[in-house]
Amino acid sequence: MITFLAKRTATLVAAVLLSSFAVFLIPYVTPGDPVRKIIRSRVAGDVVDDSTVQALGQSLGLHDPLPVQYFRWLGAFFSGDMGLSHISRTPVVDQVMPALGITLSLVIVALGIAVIVSLPLGIVAGLKQGGKADKLITTITQSFIAMPEYWLAPLLVLVFALKLSLLPSAGWNTTSSIVLPAVTLALRPISFFTSAVRSGMIDALEAEHIQAARARGLSHVQTIMRHVIPNGLVPLSTLFAVWFAGLLGGSVIVEVVFAIPGMGRLLYDAVVNSDIPLAQGGVVVVVALAVAITTLADFLHRILSPKVSGALA
Amino acid sequence: MRKLSRSAALGLAALLALTGCGLSGAQTGTAGKAADTNQRIVVDNFRAPVANWALESDSAYILSLSGCLETLTKYDSAEGKVVPFLATEWKQVSPLEWDFTLRQGVKFQDGTDLTAESVAAALNTVLKAKVPARAFNPGIVSGVKAMDAKTVRVTTPAESPLVPFRLASVNTGILSPAAYQGATVDPFGHCTGPFVPVSEKAKQSLTLDRNKNYWGGQVQLAGAEVRFITNGATRAAQVQTGEADISLSIPASGLSTLKNASEVSVLKANSPRTATLYMNNGRAPFNNVDFRKALRSALDLDALAASVYEGAALPAAGPFAPSEPWASGKASPPKQNIEEAKKLLAEAGYTADRPLEIIAIVERSEFADVATVIQDNLKSIGVPVTIQAKEYASAEPDVLAGNYDMILSQRNRLIDIADPIGFLTADYTCKGTYNLSHFCNEEYDATIAEAAKTSNTEERYKLYAKAGEILDDQAVNLWLVNEQATDAIRSNVLSYVQDPLSRYVLTAQTAKSGS
Repeated sequence: MITFLAKRTATLVAAVLLSSFAVFLIPYVTPGDPVRKIIRSRVAGDVVDDSTVQALGQSLGLHDPLPVQYFRWLGAFFSGDMGLSHISRTPVVDQVMPALGITLSLVIVALGIAVIVSLPLGIVAGLKQGGKADKLITTITQSFIAMPEYWLAPLLVLVFALKLSLLPSAGWNTTSSIVLPAVTLALRPISFFTSAVRSGMIDALEAEHIQAARARGLSHVQTIMRHVIPNGLVPLSTLFAVWFAGLLGGSVIVEVVFAIPGMGRLLYDAVVNSDIPLAQGGVVVVVALAVAITTLADFLHRILSPKVSGALA
Repeated sequence: MRKLSRSAALGLAALLALTGCGLSGAQTGTAGKAADTNQRIVVDNFRAPVANWALESDSAYILSLSGCLETLTKYDSAEGKVVPFLATEWKQVSPLEWDFTLRQGVKFQDGTDLTAESVAAALNTVLKAKVPARAFNPGIVSGVKAMDAKTVRVTTPAESPLVPFRLASVNTGILSPAAYQGATVDPFGHCTGPFVPVSEKAKQSLTLDRNKNYWGGQVQLAGAEVRFITNGATRAAQVQTGEADISLSIPASGLSTLKNASEVSVLKANSPRTATLYMNNGRAPFNNVDFRKALRSALDLDALAASVYEGAALPAAGPFAPSEPWASGKASPPKQNIEEAKKLLAEAGYTADRPLEIIAIVERSEFADVATVIQDNLKSIGVPVTIQAKEYASAEPDVLAGNYDMILSQRNRLIDIADPIGFLTADYTCKGTYNLSHFCNEEYDATIAEAAKTSNTEERYKLYAKAGEILDDQAVNLWLVNEQATDAIRSNVLSYVQDPLSRYVLTAQTAKSGS
């Protein structure tokens, strides 16, 4: 267990260092002057005065050698300071934490919907393998993969906000504001979760210990409830963690369409505008959280699947 | 049939809006509806604040359109001139000095008086900004000082007739001294306008209440919420559902759905933006005026405006929109004339020895389609064209260095002040800092130099018109379409006057009828 934790901690540190360095390099390896991008994000327009570029670059330390800039940021970060945003001049932590809270809420609700929907569908499909119900569920849920968020989101707005006036079209003001973005985000996970639960169920049904349980006299329903379903859920825990980590920074489209000030939008804007401290701070937090979540998922996997516990130990 | 009549009525309304004078926008009336002073209003704006509300940044636009921030002068689009605001009069007392007399009895929202000292302090703060405002920076203004309790003197390093225009820029908005106490600017409760900002949801919205002590009379709304919605389709949807009362800057793609919304009016106004095909006048074959004119004759601007812009833009007649006070009355949009184009090509001695490249910047999604239409038009006269999609930031170094053929871009002529001098200088003078066309013409430079020191507005506008004619005669660029500023408002919004530059949206007069 100690080895496992040590490995995971090393992974966390390596992931944070690598991702922060990669994000740091983006403005310098992509075309265009980072200082001009910063100025244009503050003041709309094309004409940028060279003396302003020089002065701002100097004041932000962007003319220093790249290693100096990076290690300056790293030193401050390990002393608990994420620095100030180049664009807003407010502390990065003050922007990242509220955005993270919003995205966490959105992702939890979206994946909650996905789990609630996919569990019964996956169980039924697994139990009725090859039957009409299985084919119908598989066809419908697989079609969700082909529904991109930039198409689905406006469609849901059209139906539920414009036509039916049931839900707000955008914003993050009331509880109902979360419904449409969460459903948009949930659709693709539903597809993957249903497929995973179905496969887990089929594998479990064919396992020897299930046959043994039936032989011991357990009823069909008891066998399903006590042995098949718990085993069928094992793959879901890993998949859930992967989607959770991915959506933390990967819900940009939904956040833009629904005007949600979450992490995806924050990171996208930061990278586009060369707001290096904000991008670095945001990515580091997302990566750290992603590593933590996948670690937690491994623990859960261990609890749910005795076969893995030996490997972890 | 009913639907048809409604469409016709809307079309007529749009046409009337389009044919309005100057750059002024359309206006909603008050006939038949009574204002309910308990109403609050929701405005969907297209940008969010940046730079922690620093006034030298574009945040100033948000504070101004929200009815919080006010300036010494104001540009009246309908009148086409600068009018009093926090200053009642101004005078050039020497070639380098302008005195502004402050309006008496104005109080900041924190209860302190608007004084010459507070105005000078506010303007000097903007002058000292690390990223100074284009309209008001140390290169243009030397300093500001209080002469007495009600007079502020603005000093310039060179004679400038445009100082009153500069003080109409939202970047020169005045906040009370308390706003500048910390490391950043705090506009909350420190403006002079009809609405007091009371709370902000970061990157989401700004909430404002009525300023009960507003110097300009009774405020007709109880309050407002200005939302920061960067997605144009979302803004269009919110005004349809009634979640927003006013949605600013509706994209062309959203207009068709709004036409069928019975409770929504679409207002259009000429904007000072012209989509332009910049040509590199410094390199062959674009260094030949006949070649440039040939390309102009080959373009079908009517088809371009109707197809790509879906009617949300009008064919351009030259570097200015026809409604701008400095536009030459002679200009009309060029008509496609393939024979003429071929003749000019022959006179230019053009041989299609290499395909020419159009850079379509990806930040403007419609430019890909515009480039395709142009490619097709030019193919018909035997000019092969390739299209390269690029981010502006990646194209800019080559364009400024003169290593390109053509680039599609769109510039706001009034980006700094309500006068095109900055645009005409930066974009077309020999030493212009943003001379993408690499155009250089002595007569043009002399005209602009004369305009820069001409204080009589009418005379100055005549010089701008002359400069515009030179650009047009030389076919420096291909001016494609004049874009329209398009706002959508609910039918219960009263006394709304559209501003093509979205500087003034909420005023003391803006009202809503009861629901």
